[in-house]
Amino acid sequence: MAKQTPFRRQKRPSGDVREEANRTILRRTTVVMVIAVLLFVPLAATLFQLMIVDHDQYTQMAISNQTRSTSVSADRGVIYDRNMNILATSVSVENVFLDPNEIATKEQDLALIASGLSEILDVEESFIYEQAADTTMRYKVIRRKIDSDLAQRVRDFINDNELRGIYLEPDTQRTYPYGTLCAQLLGFTRDDNVGAEGIEAYYDSYLQGTAGEIITTKGNKGSEMLYTYEKYYDASDGDSLVLTIDSTVQYYLEKNMETAIEKYDVLNGAFGIVADVNTGEILAMATMGSYDPNNYLEIYDTSVNEELTALYQEALLQPEGSTAYEEAMEAYNSALVEARLHQWRNRAVSDGYEPGSTFKLITLAAALEEGAVDLDDTFYCGGQADFAGREQTLHCWKAEGHGTQTTGEALENSCNIAFANIGLALTGENLYNYVRDFGLLEKTGIDLPGEGEGFFYGLDKLNPAVSGGISNTISAAFGQTFKVTPIQLVRAISAVVNGGYVVEPYVVSQIVDDAGNVVQQNERTVVRQVISEETSATMCQLMENVVTQGTAGNAQVAGYRIGGKTGTSEKIDVFDENGVMVEDKIVSFVGVAPINDPQYIVLVALDTPSTETGMYISGGIMAAPTVRDVFSDILPYLGVEPDYSDDDIDKVSVTVPNVTGMTEAEASAALSDRSLTYRVVGDGATVTGMIPAAGASVPGASEIILYMGSEVPTDRVTVPDFTGMSVSQANQAASDSGLYILAKGTNTTGSNVSVTYQDVTAGSQVERGTMITVEFTDHSAQD
Amino acid sequence: MEAAKLQTKERIVEDERGLLDLPFLILTVLLVAIGVVMMFSASYARAYMEEEGNSTYYFFRQAMFAGAGIVIMWIVSRVNYQLWRPLAPVILLGSVGLLLLVPFIGIEEGGATRWISLFGITTFQPSEIAKLGVVLMFAAMISSFRERMQTFRYGVLPFAGILLVIAGLLALEPHLSATLIILATGAAMMFLGGTRLRWFGLGILVVGAAVFLYLQVFGYASDRITAWLDPFSDPSDDGYQIVQSLYAIGSGGLMGLGFGRSRQKYLYLPEEHNDYVFAIICEELGFLGAMLIILLFVLLIVRGYWIAMHARDRFGSLVAAGITTLLALQVFLNIGVVSNFLPATGISLPFFSYGGTALLLQLFEMGIVLNISRSNRRSFL
Repeated sequence: MAKQTPFRRQKRPSGDVREEANRTILRRTTVVMVIAVLLFVPLAATLFQLMIVDHDQYTQMAISNQTRSTSVSADRGVIYDRNMNILATSVSVENVFLDPNEIATKEQDLALIASGLSEILDVEESFIYEQAADTTMRYKVIRRKIDSDLAQRVRDFINDNELRGIYLEPDTQRTYPYGTLCAQLLGFTRDDNVGAEGIEAYYDSYLQGTAGEIITTKGNKGSEMLYTYEKYYDASDGDSLVLTIDSTVQYYLEKNMETAIEKYDVLNGAFGIVADVNTGEILAMATMGSYDPNNYLEIYDTSVNEELTALYQEALLQPEGSTAYEEAMEAYNSALVEARLHQWRNRAVSDGYEPGSTFKLITLAAALEEGAVDLDDTFYCGGQADFAGREQTLHCWKAEGHGTQTTGEALENSCNIAFANIGLALTGENLYNYVRDFGLLEKTGIDLPGEGEGFFYGLDKLNPAVSGGISNTISAAFGQTFKVTPIQLVRAISAVVNGGYVVEPYVVSQIVDDAGNVVQQNERTVVRQVISEETSATMCQLMENVVTQGTAGNAQVAGYRIGGKTGTSEKIDVFDENGVMVEDKIVSFVGVAPINDPQYIVLVALDTPSTETGMYISGGIMAAPTVRDVFSDILPYLGVEPDYSDDDIDKVSVTVPNVTGMTEAEASAALSDRSLTYRVVGDGATVTGMIPAAGASVPGASEIILYMGSEVPTDRVTVPDFTGMSVSQANQAASDSGLYILAKGTNTTGSNVSVTYQDVTAGSQVERGTMITVEFTDHSAQD
Repeated sequence: MEAAKLQTKERIVEDERGLLDLPFLILTVLLVAIGVVMMFSASYARAYMEEEGNSTYYFFRQAMFAGAGIVIMWIVSRVNYQLWRPLAPVILLGSVGLLLLVPFIGIEEGGATRWISLFGITTFQPSEIAKLGVVLMFAAMISSFRERMQTFRYGVLPFAGILLVIAGLLALEPHLSATLIILATGAAMMFLGGTRLRWFGLGILVVGAAVFLYLQVFGYASDRITAWLDPFSDPSDDGYQIVQSLYAIGSGGLMGLGFGRSRQKYLYLPEEHNDYVFAIICEELGFLGAMLIILLFVLLIVRGYWIAMHARDRFGSLVAAGITTLLALQVFLNIGVVSNFLPATGISLPFFSYGGTALLLQLFEMGIVLNISRSNRRSFL
């Protein structure tokens, strides 16, 4: 029976042993079975924990693992000026980015990609290699915001070479069609399309809109799921803004400030505001030097740019990696950051400055309102005066003194000694209260970011019983030793002339949604009335006198009635490297027109005119003519009708009519219609030629030369140098050269008046009869 | 003699002494059917991506093998299991030979060499054959040694020797899960065979020391331990697979996302159609579906041991218990790994994971158990 297999069946052992072994195997099989079943208990518990207890948590994690959200960008709102000219808008552009992971896994030719993109996009090849280096990344931007032409070239490059891993995505680019115009006010948006400065920042939440989102389930590695769900959140485009700014007025303001900076060699730029005195609307607001928000990182000021380049070159001279190199680079970088912040800064609202004598308007308005002085009061100025409670002798800007003056004359003369007395008559406490009520101690609430505040004495510092109280009151009364912001001053002076109402200034008049509905309308907001209508009317009268017979003579505009006040102030908080206070001056002028019915206020301040021009540095000599030029540009534009007096005739240019072929009588009539005179050369019956030619511009009341048969001379004449000439000298020089001069500037003809500017350079050759604009400046306006 | 010989031969080929155990058969076929369908759902996306849009690529292959496997199971269920007694040493030595060949002709995958190519058509793991070899060999030895199992010389030494050789070869691949399964199954069979309990205490100490040494030597394993303890500490690298698996399981909830509606199978979860197919089942069928499948497995396992307990002889009992233990351990380890109850190790889920030869072998084993059930002593019922 025995089989020759290794494990042959055994003979059946005796019953006991067999039974025992079988019982063991049965018992032990049962034990193993129970253990095997029990193994599944902890598994069931684990699954219960995962699938039931932690279900929600894992579902959330799984969904964020499986979904991709694609954002749908909202169009940023447009910024319009008050005449719906576009100041800022967004255009569609594209960003080029790499998917380094795909480039690596699909084994793309990186060298080809780098050289191709480098050539098309004008970026360094090394930069492309750098961006493609981390192959775990899926989004590395090569260049942002390229236009459609460039994008098409990238697409062609991709298609021609059948490349994978290069992508384009839509984006928007903010553009500012007017370039530097209004730059600090508008601000700009950074690469992420978020407003960073100015209106772009302040109204960002309106302009921005809400980006939409599409959430889609998406398989890993780009596979599409069979069962997908999608959720859409619609994008809503940003609101548009309509500004109170008038881009034409803004242009005139900037142009004339630019000219002033050149004429007076102003070292630290300038700022200016044009506003509606009644509503608080800002028509123009400028800070010079400007920048171009289209290229906001570029330093616009050429001299600053040269300094920065020099710093950079200096750093490059150091061995790379050395401490000296690091330090030089850091110096360059911090200078660059500072220069950028400086050019972006809207000084008209952000920075305080010393208002100087322009502030005398506030002191006088307060004193008249309080009855502390009246128009018949007189003040004596002997050039210097001592006051009880003030240690130093007070000097007036005019050393020989102004003599005895009425209240109005004190303002015309901008007499410090008179204003010291007015301030003391008003009392420090009242001065403080009016400064507060004119809104000079609070932010104006203008809708722009970063509004600054000036600083002023506390009420206790103006108490005559306190040491220094008298002295402080005197300094404050004529506008020294404290600061206000330009926008605060504009608002306060507006209140002086508009009937006494402090209004809230604003730059956005309407917020309009993408459907054209007006979301928000900003209107005149009166904060308080600070002086009576009567006092305001009196102040207007006195301010006009400042222009017609005071320090602001250079601000006169033919045909318009201007009121204003000059100011020249030394900077109180700027020290040179030795800690000595520098003699830098801010010269300013605040003008209102028409002063008989105040509508527009213009403030221009020039920061630190150079001492090298040879001109006396004062608001009357430098800022007043600038404001005059602004007014003479903007008032006709804004529809304010000029009203020329007879004296003004020769300050207005007229067009020469064509009288060729007429008899002398006919010509005479035609010319006198235009208030022109004539003289005749030759003895023919009709006019055969004329100088200047028909259509040319000449000053009113000019003499036209009519040639009746005689030859018209065609030679050119040399423009003389008028600079420094008095009115009569200039007229003589002009007629000697066969030229006409159109006089600008002061009406007065005193010995202090001379030419400071001519619009055609001396020595140039021009046609006979050409009109040269010359500017007369009253050099006695030393404040 | 001639007649007896013929009769024996007939009995070996046509073993019709009793009926198949119907519950075991039904459970097996049910699990295979569910397994193929769920594997189809899980593999859909990957097949689409990797087999040029042919979403049913894995499904057809697996279904083919499942059909062939059922046929093999039917054939084996008709082969008298006594045939495996003399063949046991052949199978075991054959598998050892194949394991020795693995380092030379094996296919390396993820740092381990476990697979051998079969005529370039398909691949198989010699370790799977070794598992069956150990079960058959141990059953033959135990039923031969009988009461001598209580001695060290018979009850421990030869078994420990065999296990040491097999485990050593597997550890060299390295193949941790197969090593553990063979050791545990071998130990279970020794336990069933009557080896004295004190030797198991010693065995546990030895295995513990070996596991410790193993972890020290193979540094990659300790990353697995870190990923096991806190998979979310490195969800994109070491913890990636387990985190993706947990996302799938956790998002299943009570009822699941519905058949075919798994999201994690869209190439988020690696090996979603083989080792991690159970995670996709949890995601699609929910806690109830997962529990139902575990219940089917548990019923099959219980029925396997029931067949062992009612086997006509010790060899049949031990073979049935051994195969059932293999199955139980495989299912436990797979679900344990997928749910992060256990540290990650490459182990497939019987009847569910994609893999033709493994499925054939599993059904082959089920056929052996079914044949054993034919001669069950029904009186036990």
